[in-house]
Amino acid sequence: MPVRDLTIAMVGSGGDGVVTMGDMIAQGAAREGLNVMKVEAYGPQIRGGESSCTVRVSAGPIYSQGDQIDVLVVFNWADFARFRGELVCASDAIVIFEATDEKPHDQIDLGVEDTVRWVPVPFIQLAKDAAGTTLAKNIVTLGLLSGMFRLPEATLRRAVEGKFKKKKTEVLEANLRGFQAGIDFAATISDQAAGKRFQFETKEPMLLMSGNEACAVGALHAGCRFFAGYPITPSSEILHFLSEWMPKMGGYLVQTEDELSAIGAVIGGSFAGVKSMTATSGPGLALMTEMLGLASMAEVPAVIIDVQRGGPSTGLPTKSEQSDLWQALWGSHGDAPRVVLAPSDVEDCFHATVAAFNIAEEAQMPVIVLSDQFVAQRRETLSMLTLDHEVKSRRVPTIGELEGFRRYRDTKTGVSPMTWPGMKGGEYQTNGLEHDEFGQPSSMFLTHEKMNAKRYRKLRGVRDDYSFFRRYGSERADVGVICWGSSKGPVKEAVLRANGRGERVAAFVPQLLYPFPYHEFKEFLATVSEVIVVELSYSAQFYKYLRTFLELPEGHTFVYKRSGGKNLTVGEIEDKIQKVLEMGALRREVLV
Amino acid sequence: MNATTVTDIKFKPGDYKSDLKPVWCPGCGDFGVLSALYRALAKVGVEPENTVVLSGIGCSSRLPGYVKTYGFNGVHGRALTLATGVKVARPELTVIAVGGDGDGLAIGGNHLMHACRRNLDVTYILMDNEIYGLTKGQVAPTTPTGDKTKSTFWGNPEPSVDPCELAMSCGATWVARGFSGDLKFLVELVEGALRHHGFAFLNVMSPCVTWRGDDQFKSMKEKLRTLPEDHDPTRRANALAYTRETEVLTQGVLYEVETPSMVDRLESIKQRAMNGRPAPSTRDILETFIPKV
Repeated sequence: MPVRDLTIAMVGSGGDGVVTMGDMIAQGAAREGLNVMKVEAYGPQIRGGESSCTVRVSAGPIYSQGDQIDVLVVFNWADFARFRGELVCASDAIVIFEATDEKPHDQIDLGVEDTVRWVPVPFIQLAKDAAGTTLAKNIVTLGLLSGMFRLPEATLRRAVEGKFKKKKTEVLEANLRGFQAGIDFAATISDQAAGKRFQFETKEPMLLMSGNEACAVGALHAGCRFFAGYPITPSSEILHFLSEWMPKMGGYLVQTEDELSAIGAVIGGSFAGVKSMTATSGPGLALMTEMLGLASMAEVPAVIIDVQRGGPSTGLPTKSEQSDLWQALWGSHGDAPRVVLAPSDVEDCFHATVAAFNIAEEAQMPVIVLSDQFVAQRRETLSMLTLDHEVKSRRVPTIGELEGFRRYRDTKTGVSPMTWPGMKGGEYQTNGLEHDEFGQPSSMFLTHEKMNAKRYRKLRGVRDDYSFFRRYGSERADVGVICWGSSKGPVKEAVLRANGRGERVAAFVPQLLYPFPYHEFKEFLATVSEVIVVELSYSAQFYKYLRTFLELPEGHTFVYKRSGGKNLTVGEIEDKIQKVLEMGALRREVLV
Repeated sequence: MNATTVTDIKFKPGDYKSDLKPVWCPGCGDFGVLSALYRALAKVGVEPENTVVLSGIGCSSRLPGYVKTYGFNGVHGRALTLATGVKVARPELTVIAVGGDGDGLAIGGNHLMHACRRNLDVTYILMDNEIYGLTKGQVAPTTPTGDKTKSTFWGNPEPSVDPCELAMSCGATWVARGFSGDLKFLVELVEGALRHHGFAFLNVMSPCVTWRGDDQFKSMKEKLRTLPEDHDPTRRANALAYTRETEVLTQGVLYEVETPSMVDRLESIKQRAMNGRPAPSTRDILETFIPKV
């Protein structure tokens, strides 16, 4: 039986080229119109050290990285050991490993019963013989995988050509010989691939993009023409991408001296009338927090992308977690309204970023896009057609409003007319100090109360106009899973699998986290019997956040939370759903 | 050229005056700086709607509220970060940052270094009273060693910094020192700063009558002298001779050179990136994500 969904993981040291190999598989598959999700993991080393790359390729839609590995390639068991507990094989996985690696494979913990197929391959020897260098090991492997599992061979060969065409002819030819050697060796062990051979039809080529890139493109689409940022893992790809594209769009980019300066420059640029953005991770957001309050107080639109990583402090810079939630929601001195959005996949990163600009411009306040390493750095296939989004702009004052211009006029919606330099008659002085409707400083209680109310009132409009969320699964469900951000992928897949088994399970994923989409939550809760809140935060920040706004059904609410550092898998969600389904069933028996 | 120049007289100093009454103490040196700014703006003739005055926090940082241009009184130490955003996003605007010695040299010191280094096309007026005024009299980075303040009961144990020396060493292309008690000369300095192409750093000795007493003003006035006419400001070594002074206080343009500004460099990058083509559409950008294999 051929398969239409295959997850391949590769583990090696820096220099083994596992990431390059993963890139080539992902590119080749995207070119063939297949769906791909590619995830990389590294040790903390700058160069060298262990790295792993997992590519899931599917003829159908995919929502998660694929929690069980079908094919594992290991160049070095010592490197594999550093990912213990993170790379989990399927019980019928095919484990292809370097035949000469000294560590005996029977001492390796694959996380499953030893029912896997062990396939030793002399990668080093094959590379030496065919290409004259062990450096071609990854290209030999690419050929081998292509031959064994029927991946698109011609496209992968073109990928190899593309990769080496700028090098000397000998290098290109050596690698092409390596690729062929892999294919030839695969023919000698083809029976080992039984049951895992991939079958697909070629379709229109897909886009292959990371969440960070999708945020950056979304910003350009929204009309962002000024970016200021400070490098920080795992957000820096946004800075990198825009450093090329922002000037091409006629905009400007500055790598500032720190995050304080980045948010300051963004507020300055936006005050000056140009849509502006910064991107950072948790530690950077912490530094920006004071001026987040300034943007809130001075009512200056600002977009901040926070790509979460494991924390606190330096934490786990290269790995994902959902533990900046409270910082994004509440991190402030004083009452500082802001909006928090959470993209749940790569495509969402585009839409959430455009929405963030629309909201920032309309409500004149800071908007945080709470991404995370898992969604930001993985590469996923997307269709061009889904990447469009309406763009809105700032409300310009009428000529009448410029008469005795009140920049902070207290209106029904809380939104006031905003001018920017260059507009004659619209000059005003803004302030981090509390101020009256004209922007003049005031420390009177009455002014403070009135202006706080005005600034918070703007959130109502945001909640009513932008309450976007996703709901999956049964209309009425025995179990409803609530999660946010990148947890959506594995949760959605687990729910759809459960539905496939005839189980009544549903999921709710809000993209607008704050202002809190109260009615949508209430509606969902009314359709489910038991609730599971799923998140990657040890202290259960999301669950506690929900409880500040919602009465979750007492005795029927379960929390599945753990630290980040390892992405959420479909299997662990399914497991919790099963347990709660059983408990619900037991409860109903008792009630009868 | 940092400011828009007009040949005919278009504005009077009063055109830049807002309705807000300064909160400064009577006798505060900052009044002199404000007057000098009104006059210099009128002399250069910049349009109020095309001008932005930004500040951090401190007594002197209240200044933007008193100028009828676009203004931004931000948070402590970050005036230059806001100014960076305004100037880079809208290079055609005249951008002026103001603040005190604590704001610019202590909490915001890092930003000063980088604004100088970048040669950001902004005028930065630092009103130096050698004390924290708004928080009621604590020691500042420019307070002389040994001075008693609210936070140095036994005398200031730390050496002070010379702001002009700092700015020069970080790459500012126009560096001057002025005194708020010599208004006529100060107007010339502010005008020069506004007309400079690149980062103009003007350190104005602006006495604090409340926390430094009448003596500070008297002492500054006594020590004040003006740079000799034959001073060559294009040589840093010459300029450095007038820093870290103790017995005298020299006002004038210590250092002045012309190099490409941050805006020049970013504009040139933009020209190279666009290469005469219109900006790409979102679709053009997206198409680059289809793997070329």
